[in-house]
Amino acid sequence: MTEYAVRIIQLSYTYPDGTRALEKIDLDVPCGERIAIVGPSGAGKSTLLLHLNGVLQGTGSIKILNQKLEQSGLREVRRQVGLLFQDPNDQLFCPTVYEDVAFGPLNLTVPADEIQRRVDKALSDAGLNKSIRSRSSHHLSLGERRRVSLAAVLAMEPAILGMDEPTSNLDPRNRHHLIEVISGLKATLIIATHDLELVLDVCPRTVLMDQGKIWADGETRKMLADSRLMDAHGLEVPLSLKLGFKSK
Amino acid sequence: MRHNFIDRYAALDSPLHILEPRTKLLAFTALIVGVLSIPATNGFLFFIYAFAIAIMMGFSQVPLNYIVGRALLLLPFILLASLAAPWKGYLGFGVLFVRAILCLILLILLTNTTRFAELLRGMRKLGCPQILAMNLSFLYRYLFVLTEEAMRMKQARDCRRTASAPFKEELKLLSSMLGTLLIRSFERAERMHSAMLSRGYSGDFPVISPRKFSWHDLAFLSVVTLFIVSTFCFTNR
Amino acid sequence: MHIPDGFLTNRIALSLDVVSGAGILYAARRAKVDISGRTAPIMGMLAAFVFAAQMLNFPVLGGTSGHLIGGSLLAVLLGPLIGTLTMASVVIAQALFLQDGGLVALGANIFNISAVTCFSGYAVFKLFGKRIIVEGKHLFLAGFFAGWCSVMVSSACCAFEMGLSGAIPLHIGLPAMLSYHAIVGIVEGMLTGGVLKFLLKVRPDLMKDEGGTGFGIPDWIGAMLLVAIPVALLIVAGSSSLPDPLEKLLGATPIASGAVPANPLSSSRIGDYMIRSAAFILLVGLGILVSRLVRSRRSRS
Ligand SMILES: Nc1ncnc2c1ncn2[C@@H]1O[C@H](COP(=O)(O)OP(=O)(O)OP(=O)(O)O)[C@@H](O)[C@H]1O
Ligand SMILES: [Mg+2]
Repeated sequence: MTEYAVRIIQLSYTYPDGTRALEKIDLDVPCGERIAIVGPSGAGKSTLLLHLNGVLQGTGSIKILNQKLEQSGLREVRRQVGLLFQDPNDQLFCPTVYEDVAFGPLNLTVPADEIQRRVDKALSDAGLNKSIRSRSSHHLSLGERRRVSLAAVLAMEPAILGMDEPTSNLDPRNRHHLIEVISGLKATLIIATHDLELVLDVCPRTVLMDQGKIWADGETRKMLADSRLMDAHGLEVPLSLKLGFKSK
Repeated sequence: MRHNFIDRYAALDSPLHILEPRTKLLAFTALIVGVLSIPATNGFLFFIYAFAIAIMMGFSQVPLNYIVGRALLLLPFILLASLAAPWKGYLGFGVLFVRAILCLILLILLTNTTRFAELLRGMRKLGCPQILAMNLSFLYRYLFVLTEEAMRMKQARDCRRTASAPFKEELKLLSSMLGTLLIRSFERAERMHSAMLSRGYSGDFPVISPRKFSWHDLAFLSVVTLFIVSTFCFTNR
Repeated sequence: MHIPDGFLTNRIALSLDVVSGAGILYAARRAKVDISGRTAPIMGMLAAFVFAAQMLNFPVLGGTSGHLIGGSLLAVLLGPLIGTLTMASVVIAQALFLQDGGLVALGANIFNISAVTCFSGYAVFKLFGKRIIVEGKHLFLAGFFAGWCSVMVSSACCAFEMGLSGAIPLHIGLPAMLSYHAIVGIVEGMLTGGVLKFLLKVRPDLMKDEGGTGFGIPDWIGAMLLVAIPVALLIVAGSSSLPDPLEKLLGATPIASGAVPANPLSSSRIGDYMIRSAAFILLVGLGILVSRLVRSRRSRS
């Protein structure tokens, strides 16, 4: 029997202003798998990710590591799920970078030297050097902010990691570094992104969303090479597939 | 908009910067009270205080033109209020004005030699309730985000508007802009809250304090105390 | 509206520091903000909102700028206690970031701009009916008057404090402040009402709970006492025609020396002086007592 990291059954969600963002989503993610969620803007990718740790609560059921996501056990479940938000500003709320990255481990009452180790590791994984620690997040560039929020999530060492546009605003070198780091993680990964090259590199499985529904779910290379499907949902076949690179 | 206008020089490393935040909060408050209790007729004391403040300005490494610039920003109000002073002649005006300016410079010095995060820690240790400290730390963090958002909305509005609208329309537009900003703030707070929760937040804001109370602080506190006491003795004579 | 250091006598400034400090401790304790809940980030975010809105100084009325104070809006959205706390952090931040308002005068500014606006705004708003938010009838009017009154009351307090300090005589300061703020208040009121109406239309779900803390009759009485006693004492103790006890203590002469009659040591003067000093000491003692009480209750719970 496979262990599921995430099981979503018949999930629907309507925003308070009446926008129907998700409609009867079914999705199973086995432990340790890396899946990508792709789709045009406004497809509902971010909305879906926000359901993973109970930020939004729609109708239907969600199980995280075999535990139902309900109001009561929310706190425990949330520690298992790290979410990298689309807007890093939502995620960095402390006066300095160091405090932001240490916030999670400190709350877990990890011993001091362990905190130090985790913060250092998370910062270097996110491609940041030490001089950034004492700076304030609002003085950072957008790409730096994104990496700091990644570090803040990584420092929690979550079992499931949901990422919303991890590569946007990153320069090429940091993007490569990020892909390397992601590939080395043991956590179950769910990545919502428009960066299809990233998807090809990291995720064997892809889910295509549009207008709040899942239209396709399967092997990445097959799906992304299907130009009819991609065109129908406002996406395009990645260049490297068109040109025949990256054949494994 | 560059937003380090708030604590631009707080990251320097001068003798004033390395003090513990509690020391600075207490000492500067005492100095301001000291300035406020200088008797109106005692010009010499005003001079002594100004001299002491100038020495601190020199030590702080905060550029003079920056301090003057910040002080100038608030000058109109101070001037206006001083002009309304109830005494005839220049004395009342001068006393109020000099007092206000000296206090203002002290405040500028305090906030520009201390990082805000540390100021908060100092306040927290001096007994400020946790909720207020937390609030201030959020405010500090999100002020820039919201200001930028508001500026963008304002620009967008200015681009679309051709002629100036009548007053009532203007206000209506303004309140819906503020309303939108408010709603976005609410939503951001919710996302932020969930980000906090997913990192194990349970109501306590962990505090990491890099600066410790040291002999510097002791020295500074004793000098300030000595100074204030001696000025009082001087006036008592 | 933000009073800088130097315009209040030490006595008035410091006693308002004590009053505001005690008030904030009381509010922090009484509001029982569930800090692990979502109220904390909402408070912080709304504080940043008010700060940003005050900094923007939107141009209205061809040139003059409307200065949104926002206390009544926060009080309506969050309840008066949490609103006061939130506004207090705005005022503290304005002093620390922009040097807008002094450090020793902080207590006075917190009192005027946060406590007074929030409570007066909330009280006026509630005059329009208990379920005004849910029903939405006259919402604009209620918001307008809440905003306008809060600005007026707050500016009157400001003028009183300055007047009692002898910095700006009351007969000049009060009419000036009131007439200026009567106009500013219109903008504030219209913005408060407009924003409330807009919120009700777009996100009515945000307006249902008022921050979750009920504010009962005992709290109203407590809050009024907390405000009224010090104000009364201030007025008794604060007359500028006598030396400031603190200044006297420190051996200084009062700034308004012209106002002191030729023979300040006549017997009636001394009696008068003693009464006022006693009132001042009583006030400080009361403040300390309240803060102690709140402290000990907080540490016990
Ligand atoms: N706070 C909100 N209130 C109302 N509607 C919203 C809100 N956030 C998103 N929506 C709507 O929900 C739908 C899905 O939005 P979502 O942010 O999930 O899209 P997305 O797939 O992440 O898009 P993108 O690729 O641009 O990030 C969109 O139609 C959007 O307009
Ligand atoms: Mg998105």
